[in-house]
Amino acid sequence: MARVYNWQIGREMSYWYPERHPKRQFAAVFDTNKCIACQTCTLACKTTWTSGKGQEYMLWNNVETKPYGFYPLGWDLNLLEKLGAQNWDGERYSGRTIFEAAQPGERVLGWRPDEIDYANPNVGEDDCAGGVEKGAHFSGVHDSWFFYLARICNHCTYPACLSSCPRGAIYKRPEDGIVLIDQGRCRGYQECIKACPYKKTFYNAMTGTSEKCIACFPKIEMGMQPQCFVNCIGKIRCAGWISKPENAKRDNPIDFLVHVKKVALPLFPQFGLEPNVYYIPPVNVPRDFLLQMFGPNIDAALETYRNAPRDKDLSGLLTLFGSTEQIVSKWSRVGEQVMGYDDSGREIIRVPLTEPTHIRQAFDAARGVARTNIS
Amino acid sequence: MKARNIVVVAAILIYAVFAGCGKKEPPISDSEVKAVFEKTLPSTVEDRTWERVPLHPAKLLLQDMVEPRLMQGSTSFVRVQAVTDGQKIAFRLTWNDSTLDDVPGPGRFADAVALQMPASTTADVPAPQMGETGRAVEITYWSAIFQAVVNGRKDDIQAIYPRSAVDHYPFEAPSLKPGSAAQQEMAKRYAPARSLGNQMAGPRTVPVQDLLAEGPGTIRPAEKTLSSGSGKYSRDGWSVLLVRPLPNGAQPGGRTQVAFAVWEGSHQEVGSRKMRTAWVPLSLGSSR
Repeated sequence: MARVYNWQIGREMSYWYPERHPKRQFAAVFDTNKCIACQTCTLACKTTWTSGKGQEYMLWNNVETKPYGFYPLGWDLNLLEKLGAQNWDGERYSGRTIFEAAQPGERVLGWRPDEIDYANPNVGEDDCAGGVEKGAHFSGVHDSWFFYLARICNHCTYPACLSSCPRGAIYKRPEDGIVLIDQGRCRGYQECIKACPYKKTFYNAMTGTSEKCIACFPKIEMGMQPQCFVNCIGKIRCAGWISKPENAKRDNPIDFLVHVKKVALPLFPQFGLEPNVYYIPPVNVPRDFLLQMFGPNIDAALETYRNAPRDKDLSGLLTLFGSTEQIVSKWSRVGEQVMGYDDSGREIIRVPLTEPTHIRQAFDAARGVARTNIS
Repeated sequence: MKARNIVVVAAILIYAVFAGCGKKEPPISDSEVKAVFEKTLPSTVEDRTWERVPLHPAKLLLQDMVEPRLMQGSTSFVRVQAVTDGQKIAFRLTWNDSTLDDVPGPGRFADAVALQMPASTTADVPAPQMGETGRAVEITYWSAIFQAVVNGRKDDIQAIYPRSAVDHYPFEAPSLKPGSAAQQEMAKRYAPARSLGNQMAGPRTVPVQDLLAEGPGTIRPAEKTLSSGSGKYSRDGWSVLLVRPLPNGAQPGGRTQVAFAVWEGSHQEVGSRKMRTAWVPLSLGSSR
């Protein structure tokens, strides 16, 4: 095992391969507060990539309701239980990562889902935490909660799938950090399925190989965002590039949200993979749950997000989410206008901070008719 | 009538007893695999030739040298017999297995067996753990999943999950004539491993693969699979016939080495998680 630095846990850790970084790293921010679990992202992915034989059960993208939704069943709980206590000393993780907790004979601490664990992708959908008493109704503040967690492959800096493959059939593209399974080389040992804590690699029984989210790399290569991003109804997603914290740039949308504002957090950073999909945490969920899921910076992230209406830069950047199919590499705000630019610096999108509002009268006096939504 | 029935039953019993006695146990060869010379190689695992071919009980060891390792043992012995015709060598490999594992799926693994020989027959052999850089080993790999497909299981999800329902595959759209070049081209596009020519993805005509390796994790397909084989499962376990060309430099009357590996699917054995032997001496019989 080599020693590598993982900024998300604030320390060095053990990893199967030495530290090496791509030219640039694909990354994303998902705003959980905007997700309505319509599964349009899931279907966009499904119809684009997994319509083949053996791919029927695969959901490279899925949206599950937390706390009781899982795909596959118990993907997070099983590993959290195996990993034991996960303590943080401030921003430094003092527990063990899944690489450090590997059992003898293993490269990674993992577990293997049963076939049946994939059978109920919508388990727990819209189920809220705790019981709901008879006669309960909305009357202001209440204790019941749930939220939607949209998930794709995290294209981790230190992928467990990659480190677990005894054949070296999984690789991280040097040009963009996207993690892929070489379909010519894979022999379907399913070690990656056991190792990936997010359970985002899938075995294809018809081809005898494992497959996973490819971050729509043909689109990325054309400067466009993946299918699950551009089809998102709630406009919760933003794809781009993340720098190391010490190289963070304010005009890079992902850097701004992750490193500058620290409003978007990694999913289970304590696992040690340095995942590159970041989540703006849900505001109405108990702190302990979020602390376990998103790490120790949860309080500051929530405070920053709650303050977004008074923070023109933050709210401005959030308006760029879902506003263009192209990747916004840079952004800026001038007054009430927010602009997005591509790699070459060309402006590709301009969005007002506040959309103009036009109120139509319910009655059309000129025609003497009442207006409906389609008139 | 009653007496006649008794006579018939007695005759059947006597025949059964003698038929059982007629099945000879092969001689045991403890120290090496002795490949007997025969003009014609046995074509099935039931061929009576095997009754006179020495049987080597090869002790299986845990693969606990490289990660991921197998930490708990399963199959303890594989019984090895071999016959050569001077060009090819046929092995009959039998081992106990109380579960039949020939269905692929998430968390499902195949019963399998492999034999390994040095790519060139020299005085010293490469490391038994899949060879060494620059010193390749040749591997013939048989899998129960491959066997089931060759035996006729359809290459279809319904063959594995009979109650599954699929609305539509884009490559089976009514506008595409089934079996046409355009239809097959599109179907390939939806099976990336197959379109890249990955042997794991089929289509499959034999239940074996010829592979080369130069150390753990380096397995690659041979230019062509020349080996053949077939496996049969019974309550006692597997009996697999593997036939491959004699390796480069191996001559009738000469000697080389061979190693074996067995995977127990129900024990989640796959890849490097396997039971394996060290090199076992192999003597090649000749016509003289």
